Amino acid sequence: MLRQISKSILLLLFSVVICCIAYPLVLWAIGQAAFPFQANGSLLQGPDGKDVGSKLIAQPFTKDEYFQPRPSSPSYDASASASSSLAPSNYALRDRVARTLGPIVTYRGGAKAGKQVAPDVEAWFQKDSFQGKPHIVAQWADQHNSLAQAWVNADPKNGAYVDEWTKIHQAIVAQWIKDNPATPKPKAADLAVVFFKDFSNTNPGRFPSSVTKTGPDGKPLTAIEPVKDGSDVQSIFFEMWREEHADADLQDVPGDLVTASASGLDPHISLQNAEFQLDRVAAKWAANLKRDPAAIRKEIEQIIQKNASAPWGGLIGEQFVNVLEINLELRKLYGAPS
Amino acid sequence: MFLQTWLLPVALLVIATIVAFPLSRYLAWVMDGKYRQLPVLSWFERSLDSGPQNWKQYTGSLLIFNTALFVFGFLVLAVQPWMPLNPDAKGMLAPSTIFNSVVSFMTNTNLQHYAGDVHLSNFSQVFFCISNMFLSASVGFCSLVAIIRAFRGEASLGNFFVDMWRVVIYMFIPAALIFGIIFMSQGSPMTLNSSYQVSTLEPAAMGTTDKGEVKKQTIVVGPVAALESIKMLGTNGGGFFGMNSAHPFENPTGVSNFFNTLAMMIFPFALVFMYGRMLRRLRHSWIIFSVMLLLMAGTIVWSICFDTLRPNPGLTAHATAQTFQIPNAKAPGGKQDVTIPAVAGLPVDQHLGNLEGKELRFGTSAGATFAALTTDVTCGAVNAEMDSLNPLAALSPMVGMWLNCIFGGKGVGMINMLLYVIIGIFIAGQMVGRTPEYLGKKIGAREVKLAVLALLVHPMMILMPTGLFAALDWGLKAVSNPGAHGFSQMLYQFSSASANNGSAFDGLGVTFGFANNATPSPTAIPWDIATGLVIVFSRFLPIIAPIAMAAFLGAKTTSPAGLGTLHDDTPTFGILVLGTILIVGALLFLPVAVLGPIAEHFGPMPFGG
Repeated sequence: MLRQISKSILLLLFSVVICCIAYPLVLWAIGQAAFPFQANGSLLQGPDGKDVGSKLIAQPFTKDEYFQPRPSSPSYDASASASSSLAPSNYALRDRVARTLGPIVTYRGGAKAGKQVAPDVEAWFQKDSFQGKPHIVAQWADQHNSLAQAWVNADPKNGAYVDEWTKIHQAIVAQWIKDNPATPKPKAADLAVVFFKDFSNTNPGRFPSSVTKTGPDGKPLTAIEPVKDGSDVQSIFFEMWREEHADADLQDVPGDLVTASASGLDPHISLQNAEFQLDRVAAKWAANLKRDPAAIRKEIEQIIQKNASAPWGGLIGEQFVNVLEINLELRKLYGAPS
Repeated sequence: MFLQTWLLPVALLVIATIVAFPLSRYLAWVMDGKYRQLPVLSWFERSLDSGPQNWKQYTGSLLIFNTALFVFGFLVLAVQPWMPLNPDAKGMLAPSTIFNSVVSFMTNTNLQHYAGDVHLSNFSQVFFCISNMFLSASVGFCSLVAIIRAFRGEASLGNFFVDMWRVVIYMFIPAALIFGIIFMSQGSPMTLNSSYQVSTLEPAAMGTTDKGEVKKQTIVVGPVAALESIKMLGTNGGGFFGMNSAHPFENPTGVSNFFNTLAMMIFPFALVFMYGRMLRRLRHSWIIFSVMLLLMAGTIVWSICFDTLRPNPGLTAHATAQTFQIPNAKAPGGKQDVTIPAVAGLPVDQHLGNLEGKELRFGTSAGATFAALTTDVTCGAVNAEMDSLNPLAALSPMVGMWLNCIFGGKGVGMINMLLYVIIGIFIAGQMVGRTPEYLGKKIGAREVKLAVLALLVHPMMILMPTGLFAALDWGLKAVSNPGAHGFSQMLYQFSSASANNGSAFDGLGVTFGFANNATPSPTAIPWDIATGLVIVFSRFLPIIAPIAMAAFLGAKTTSPAGLGTLHDDTPTFGILVLGTILIVGALLFLPVAVLGPIAEHFGPMPFGG
């Protein structure tokens, strides 16, 4: 027994020295000598020579002048990789995809071919009737309690807005407490559904949304107000609009544009996705630089094609481009976007 | 499209077989002690040798060594805040999470209730993860070798400490160096730094702080390549980063993904041939190998067909409303109609299959292929999000864990296969009314009892805790997806724990985080402890019982093969084993499969929300 314990400790000691000290040091030395770029994280430098990020790690781009990477569950936090973990059957996945689609989807055929769907979604929303029943927002909150609650928790301003409403509508709150005796002191999120139902009754065809105006002191002031159009309406209610317009002939959007990658840090988009974004990117640069849109489009198209690659040269997968690399080329070619 | 889908899995299976066959010869050569020791290394080996051991001494040494490894692992994680290589001042993990992680890594499971990039310093990654990855893989390997020696009728099963030394030094270290260099060439970092702060190309794209300063992107790096290669070669599967082999640093390109996948296949493949070589029954090995390969190809084809070749059903149209009758005592007639409304399709091009939770750089079918392989060989690394697989596709990794003998992990997969072989022979013997024999030795009641005991630990350790957690808040509050998929999440976690696999449906709320975390997942502690206990029982009982069985069997006299002998090197024998595996597996797990992934496939889509 004692002999076996001493041998165990000896084996552990030898293994730690070899596996945890000698082996990593050998690899480290080889890596630093033979592959210094890769071994140090594949860092890329911007026009000013400073590190702008890793070639292998997605970073966010919000401006229309840049190509945008795939959606990221950890918001491109490269210190906490994560996937969405949403099952196909989870409505939250369908909702997330639909919200991305709403502002960008266009008609494929018919009289409006090529036109955006978003204005039609807004017009339909303002009529405030879904499947023959009035009040779209009330039905939305009723069918998707968790989404209504998520709206309340998404921003402190939203929560404060519901708290304000609670003070005025004590009767509704009292009724809610009567219906839910297990929660005598409801928080703002608990009341989300009744809040939206009441909101929808008093503001038909409106949704509470964050609006930025110039305040009396000249500074921008952000507040929640009932709105009848804008990005919230286009994205949140696209899914319900689609249910009522299942036959509308819409242009498909590339799959990787709306799906989140496993790591949340996928540095690539498909070539198809890049081509899809090309019109937007080219138009924006053309307007910025006051140059011919067709010429700019051709230049950027060349950048994409030059950077496109495929796994095993296309034998096992389709072509993709590295978002940071092509955006870096745009930045070097055209300067910083305004 | 056809080529892009099928070339990768076919190439993997063919090349792994081609590599494994000669490799098995080397493994048998090393384990039989025929190599000439290098002068420096022979001193180590001599000082480890405690003399020949019988089966009780061998398993005793195995258990004592694992105890030492447990203490060491616990210490390393517990002292993380005070150790070097920790510039981000990472604190101590919660005690229950330390227990879970230590047990999990010690047993080759690598179920991670923490995220490596968030919770571990480089010191812990190297001294906790890497040490356990080398050693736990070797333990399984050695137990298979002990069983082989017992079958050969040798009085001594060798020496556990010498065997461990041989496996680590002559197999894993050279292989890990080769694969480490490949991974570095593709882009895996190998540095002692732990993170970089970079200003993104578009300033403020990461947002701004409350003070109005532009947020930087923090990029975590470290000795990734060193961990990555042994993680895959040892079928450990515990990632350096939270998202494991899906993370661009762990798996930077399509080439690295091929080698990542290949690395987890070659040793399990080679062990089957090694078994035959050491017993001088290579033809028998080929039969077992064919059965395993057939099952493996089946799981791969299944997951590709339902994930790569089908769109994500959450986004597609379900054009007709469906009405089902369900029993309801209060409704008139005792039955109630439930209608699932029609759903409109979203305008998404899904010709590449389900892309949610997939990375683009690996190739079209790489995610589905990896998902099937990682549980077949009990690795547990993932290169796609298992939670987001299409419902039926997710059945494939689950079947890999439930059967737990499709090549399986280091050694233990082959041991599980031997249990099925023994039970298959026993059933066949019952059918023809003849005393069953394996390797010319009569299988008695004691051997069958030990085999069944080892085999039944696995379903009990999956089904009982899943049932318990599904009935309690522990389970219901932890699931992140509604309906049948929530049940699948719990089922998957315990299957993964019991199969010593380590992959997971990541949405399950099992992470406590650092000990001082104010808002941990409320169900983390029961999950830490329950899966930790499952891991221990499902690791050591199925190692000890088969070694005992082999020792009893090997001590018997060998009877010459006669006319009535069941030949173990014919296709008929292969079909017998295959049938045993499928029937026993289906009897044990079909009910839960129906409650989980199959119900999700047929159920309302989308569901809840």
